[in-house]
Amino acid sequence: MTRAFEYDLLSKCDVSNRKEDSCVLLSHGAEDEVVDPKKYLEESCKPKCVKPLLEYQACVKRIQGDDSGHKHCTGQYFDYWHCIDKCVAPKLFAKLK
Amino acid sequence: MVGGGVIQQILRRKLHSPSLATPVRSWLSSKTAHVDAGSSGVRAFALLGAGVTGLLSFSTVASADEAEHGLACPDYPWPHDGILSSYDHASIRRGHQVYQQVCASCHSMSLISYRDLVGVAYTEEEAKAMAAEIEVVDGPNDEGEMFTRPGKLSDRLPQPYANESAARFANGGAYPPDLSLITKARHNGQNYVFALLTGYRDPPAGISIREGLHYNPYFPGGAIAMPKMLNDEAVEYEDGVPATEAQMGKDVVSFLSWAAEPEMEERKLMGFKWIFLLSLALLQAAYYRRLKWSVLKSRKLVLDVVN
Repeated sequence: MTRAFEYDLLSKCDVSNRKEDSCVLLSHGAEDEVVDPKKYLEESCKPKCVKPLLEYQACVKRIQGDDSGHKHCTGQYFDYWHCIDKCVAPKLFAKLK
Repeated sequence: MVGGGVIQQILRRKLHSPSLATPVRSWLSSKTAHVDAGSSGVRAFALLGAGVTGLLSFSTVASADEAEHGLACPDYPWPHDGILSSYDHASIRRGHQVYQQVCASCHSMSLISYRDLVGVAYTEEEAKAMAAEIEVVDGPNDEGEMFTRPGKLSDRLPQPYANESAARFANGGAYPPDLSLITKARHNGQNYVFALLTGYRDPPAGISIREGLHYNPYFPGGAIAMPKMLNDEAVEYEDGVPATEAQMGKDVVSFLSWAAEPEMEERKLMGFKWIFLLSLALLQAAYYRRLKWSVLKSRKLVLDVVN
């Protein structure tokens, strides 16, 4: 790999907006950074699960002022992630060895 | 059953705060007022009391149920799921590597020996070399003393802690369970373990987890002592497969599935063969039974009345 190519890859790997461990170049100098397929599929399944996501965000807003510590959005959170999981599960293993 | 009615009485006195249960209570109290004092009436009253107790208790703890059972895990299409599908042995080999490098520092697998790995994930020489890397306490020798020696194929996989107390002490009171049978010891074990390992997320709004625990929606209760262990590139696979979090999760669960059910492949072959043969035997038996019974089934009985 030439120096210029490496710098180009590093510039794409902006640590401030991404977790460091997804920005690692493989030690044997491969071209691509490692992207976890599950995270990628969870992102791509977001449009399918907009309704539970909006419900969750509405809940977050509702309980924002609460100081009692008893209010939480577990139900909406579970609904959203259940939707995402159902979408991701059939597709994930095709992306894995 | 009479206890149900007593509980209902106590509940009625104690539950004075306005809640969803109030209209139900007043409806029920008007209903039970009509029940007479006969023995069947008392029984009906008691049954109703038991039912109301259940209904009332459900309405007050329903909000805790979701996190209590954990988020239901999805079903993943495991390559060894089919009726005649075997394990992916390359995946078992990688999974053992993940176990050794990531999990073995806290989790024992004390039912697996090095010899079990031969022919499944490693050759005999490889397994012998792996076993020789560990020190095993053996003895007593002729002088009555215990001594240490390098491991052999017949030795079990090494345990990270001497006993459960030591394990709990090192992990803030929590015991990292033995993984030899974990995929059979948990409901929907394979999918559960994969979802758990790859499912560490930020908690929902309003949930805070105390210091020392971590949030995982799949874990019953949501607060698990184990931190997220699978991170991209944590392990470098011998066969060059990119070690993403999902890949490591799949491989380690394949390994754990094999460890819990090493007989699976033989079982499936045997099952297929014998179910097929016994179905043929069933057809033969059915034919033979009907053949023998045809004599009786086709007889005619004549009732001859003498006038």
